[in-house]
Amino acid sequence: MKRIPLLLILAGALFAGACSERSSIDSTRSSDPLTATLLPAPQALPDFALVDEHGAEQDASMFEGEWHLLFFGFANCPDICPTTLATLASATRTLRESNPASAPRIVLVSVDPDRDTPDVLREYVSYFGTDTRALSGSEAALRELTAPLGVYFNRVPIGEDNYTVDHSSAVLLINPNGEFHALFSGPHKAENFIHDLPLILGTS
Amino acid sequence: MLRFTLAATLLLVAACQAPSGPPLEIVEVEVTLPRPGMGMSAGYFRITNNGSAPVSITHIDSPQYGAVELHETQVVDGVARMRPLESLEVAPGQTVTLERGGKHLMLMRPVDDIDTVTLNFYSGEALLLSIDTRAGGAD
Repeated sequence: MKRIPLLLILAGALFAGACSERSSIDSTRSSDPLTATLLPAPQALPDFALVDEHGAEQDASMFEGEWHLLFFGFANCPDICPTTLATLASATRTLRESNPASAPRIVLVSVDPDRDTPDVLREYVSYFGTDTRALSGSEAALRELTAPLGVYFNRVPIGEDNYTVDHSSAVLLINPNGEFHALFSGPHKAENFIHDLPLILGTS
Repeated sequence: MLRFTLAATLLLVAACQAPSGPPLEIVEVEVTLPRPGMGMSAGYFRITNNGSAPVSITHIDSPQYGAVELHETQVVDGVARMRPLESLEVAPGQTVTLERGGKHLMLMRPVDDIDTVTLNFYSGEALLLSIDTRAGGAD
């Protein structure tokens, strides 16, 4: 299986971004270049076994049949995680209004399994809309998914009895075959998803 | 003529030294509500130092929260990191913006049914400013 490190894809995304400054002027024009980076060939997801927000075991087959946006974060993150999830929720809401087929489902993969139990995650993601789901599991189980994708996370102590989790900020687009299809590198803007997704999904 | 010139000069000096507002100004305050089940949320604002001396905000407290911390989200090589800030430094004439994806307040352990929020800004032991705002900013 071909593995493409996330850093390499991010470098490509940065290069593409530098060459497509025009897209920031009016990113809603469908003739503008994509802000996302398409993988040269979709990459099958690794085998993984995680638990969803209802406590049900899930594997890569959960992605079959629908497009999904994957974000890696955690519930006790006050700034970038809710901001990103709200951006994704806003973008998919707009897309759904014009064509429901253009709106992928959102999945938060929590990289903070000690605090993010299924109960916590169920309540948390419900804030971002009924289509938002969540996954988590032991650190080892999480790394089965994240490592082959080049997604980084690392627990870092802050203060005496608290910690934060550093994590990749990218949003991954998974196609209905359950393959890693494209990558959105941050900073995330709703208009980028609204512009790109109908083009990538072929629903524009 | 000399008197006129002197008066005009004094006026000019006075105009240059006139403060453009309160020494420390905090505007566009936004406090998000904690997400369901979460014991924390974020705060954002814009702070301007209209005075002639640097301002160092060393801590912030609020009767509505168990703890308030200054944090900064940094995205380095595609990795988001949140780190506590020792203080918030605002030079004379400078405006510092706390915003999503950057510097922000981390508001922890809120009281129940949070509505109006008071934030007290300190430099060491000295209380610099208190502001009231309503919780519930948009995402």
